[in-house]
Amino acid sequence: MQTIQHPELQETVYYEKMPNGLDVYVLPKEGFQKTYATFSTRYGSIDNHFKVAKGEDTQVPDGVAHFLEHKMFEEPTGDIFATFANQGASANAFTSFDRTVYLFTATEQIDANIETLVNFVQNPYFTDENVEKEKGIIGQEIKMYQDNPDWRVYFGVIEAMFGIHPVHIDIAGTIESIGTITKETLYTCYNTFYHPSNMLLFVVGGVNAEDVIELVRANQAKKDYGQQGEIDRIFAEEPTAVHLKRKVTHLPVSLPKCLFGFKEKNILELGAEQLRRDLVIKLMLDIMLGSSTPLYQQLYDEKLISDGFGFEFNSGKNYAFSIIGGDTPDPDLLIQRIRDAVEAMKTTGFNQAHFERARKKKIGGYLRMLNSPEAIANEFTNYKFRDCDLFEILPVYESITLEEVNESLRNHFDWEQLAISIVESPSQSNS
Amino acid sequence: MTMTSFEQGQVHQMRIHVMPTKRFKTFAIALYIGVPLEESTVTEVALTPFALRRGTETYPETIQFRERLDDLYGAGFGFDVLKRGDYQIVQFRMDIINDAFVASEQSLLQQSFAFLGEVLTKPALKQNKYRDKYVDAEKETLRKRLDSIVNDKIRYAAERCIEEMCKNEPYRLHPLGKREDIEGITSESLVKHYEKWLQSANMDLYVVGDTSLEEVQKLVEQSFQLQRSKEVNYELKAPTRQSRDVQTIVEKLDVGQGKLNMGLRTSITYGDDQYAAALMYNGILGGYPHSKLFVNVREKASLAYYASSRFDGHKGICTIQSGIEIENYEKAVEIIRQQLDSMKTGTISDLELTQTKAMISNHVRELGDSAFEMIGYDFNRQLSGKNRPASQLLEQIENVTIADIQAAAQTFELDTIYYLRDRKGE
Repeated sequence: MQTIQHPELQETVYYEKMPNGLDVYVLPKEGFQKTYATFSTRYGSIDNHFKVAKGEDTQVPDGVAHFLEHKMFEEPTGDIFATFANQGASANAFTSFDRTVYLFTATEQIDANIETLVNFVQNPYFTDENVEKEKGIIGQEIKMYQDNPDWRVYFGVIEAMFGIHPVHIDIAGTIESIGTITKETLYTCYNTFYHPSNMLLFVVGGVNAEDVIELVRANQAKKDYGQQGEIDRIFAEEPTAVHLKRKVTHLPVSLPKCLFGFKEKNILELGAEQLRRDLVIKLMLDIMLGSSTPLYQQLYDEKLISDGFGFEFNSGKNYAFSIIGGDTPDPDLLIQRIRDAVEAMKTTGFNQAHFERARKKKIGGYLRMLNSPEAIANEFTNYKFRDCDLFEILPVYESITLEEVNESLRNHFDWEQLAISIVESPSQSNS
Repeated sequence: MTMTSFEQGQVHQMRIHVMPTKRFKTFAIALYIGVPLEESTVTEVALTPFALRRGTETYPETIQFRERLDDLYGAGFGFDVLKRGDYQIVQFRMDIINDAFVASEQSLLQQSFAFLGEVLTKPALKQNKYRDKYVDAEKETLRKRLDSIVNDKIRYAAERCIEEMCKNEPYRLHPLGKREDIEGITSESLVKHYEKWLQSANMDLYVVGDTSLEEVQKLVEQSFQLQRSKEVNYELKAPTRQSRDVQTIVEKLDVGQGKLNMGLRTSITYGDDQYAAALMYNGILGGYPHSKLFVNVREKASLAYYASSRFDGHKGICTIQSGIEIENYEKAVEIIRQQLDSMKTGTISDLELTQTKAMISNHVRELGDSAFEMIGYDFNRQLSGKNRPASQLLEQIENVTIADIQAAAQTFELDTIYYLRDRKGE
């Protein structure tokens, strides 16, 4: 077991790689009642085309990773939620572009709950009947999102940016695509992506690290996993240019919703370089568009934005993009105003004081995040899956320079790379 | 149970609650300001925090105000307008890094109190130069917020169900007020209302972090320019007893999925001895993925993705929500009614009982890991006048029997069925 200390954060992380390849991390939090554990696989909605070692090239229907997540909760003995409930744990799971995460929180019977978490995810049980039944439930989940304008406008930007890369495919798939899923599809994906060497267990809370790791050691020793070759994720080439400049969706909304963003031209490998680039862009967006900037205030005073205005930057394997916007009476005027301000800022650059203030804010936000076991577990796994370390972010923030941020402003806001998504009521339509 | 309790004091008729602890990397501050929910003031109360967050005497321009927060290491600052029972409560929150983690010259806690004190008692709103500008802009923001409720159909259906159910009570009002009142509010009327609100509202200030009651009391004296003469207390009314036939409301909008909501009334509220049994009732009915609604509506009948219930212990209302295929309305209502019946007949397995106890107890114990959750829990005591420490609630939950839940179930009466569906057949 390795001990990794972070004295400046007053945190210590314990780590061990199991013989079968499973990564186990434990972060004891003194004085905390609850324990939060996540068991994650590097497998999400974008992993729809792959092969293992010299195996067969496999392509699967959209929405399989998410479907699999739903079906994992069913065991021959019944629903695993009931087992967790017996042990006082509340369990859940989610699927994103590049990972599937199973989790629980509990204040008692921690050992039993960790065993349950690991065992149910390592014990698939799919039948023709239970796969069919799930289609009705996921169908309603898809319909729920279809009626949700915030989801539609958000996904709309990604659909506008990417034509080929599977990041543009809705995580849940479509009612048609899930219709073609069978138990065989699920087993194929399960056997590929749920091998321990593709997974990470993170436990945070009022626990003893050595006890947790010993428990996992014993648990894994009882299971027989062969070695698995490298998983090759196949991505067809995505053009640099955006797929659509503008995507308009009609749904009843009180004001148009407009999100727009920039598709990064510069695709980096996962790792330290990508992490730094991402942090620089996030900092840059905050200095440009944050709620303490003159631009934000001007847009607010002009009633072009409201409290929900926001921005983010996302990246993963073979994709990276920003998303900016919110509710606005005039999407085109909003974009024009931001464009003017960005272009003016490109020539002058940011000033040192604004840069320092934004950096301070980011550091504060990072430290506040460390109060939340849930956030730590989710972010830690997220960073690990990108070959980075959550606890090494502080020095990166501290080393970022004003020049770097100014350069990222000039590079990222490339108007050729702009894609716009609008959700408006049928009556508001003029596009 | 290591959940320490709050030390209590009072300054300017503001109740102060402090929990000294080194467990967190931050100081959490919450200020609750509550007045009875009333048709004539609901909109002005709602607008007030919006206007206050625009600037203070020292930081009159909103940019200065926000920059100040960034300088405090990105201090979290936010507010909410809540409805708790028949009270409308404005909650301000701050969340600041403990100085131990950063190189700060002055105490961040002291600076944060200076800031919050100004927000409440020395707002730029009182200066003529800013008054109209800020009030106009925030009226617009509030209007947009109210308009946007319809965008999220899950939330919209929940609000509409309550509105229909409580047609004749203040509880029908949305905590953000009434759209039609906004126009008539002027900056003069808002300032006048604000002054009165400062005088007459209940105020509870909470701090969780590495500090003491003495320090907080001193900071409040320095930072809050309040002159409040009389003590105010929350007085929650007993739930209204109404025996009537179930009303069914159907509303049509452009939706792909139907939203089925139901409202039940109970005489049991937070202060009641039966409160733990009512929590168990809700937990077994629809609080969790092992509950009757999830298992029967979703897992067995495959009708929905979500099907759950919620209990508002301050009002004595339990609500049920689900999203279904439009034509499955009758089927879903029937299944849900069967679950309500089985609660009344006490058709509850030992497994359901122990699972639900374990889940609720787990939730109560977890409160201790979050500063704001602990604050929220303790605020229930201020609101209801009932002191029920978390350890006591855990004990009461443990002792609830199936017979107790069945007895509690007799008090839950279905009142309203609200269905939001598509426009077909119009």
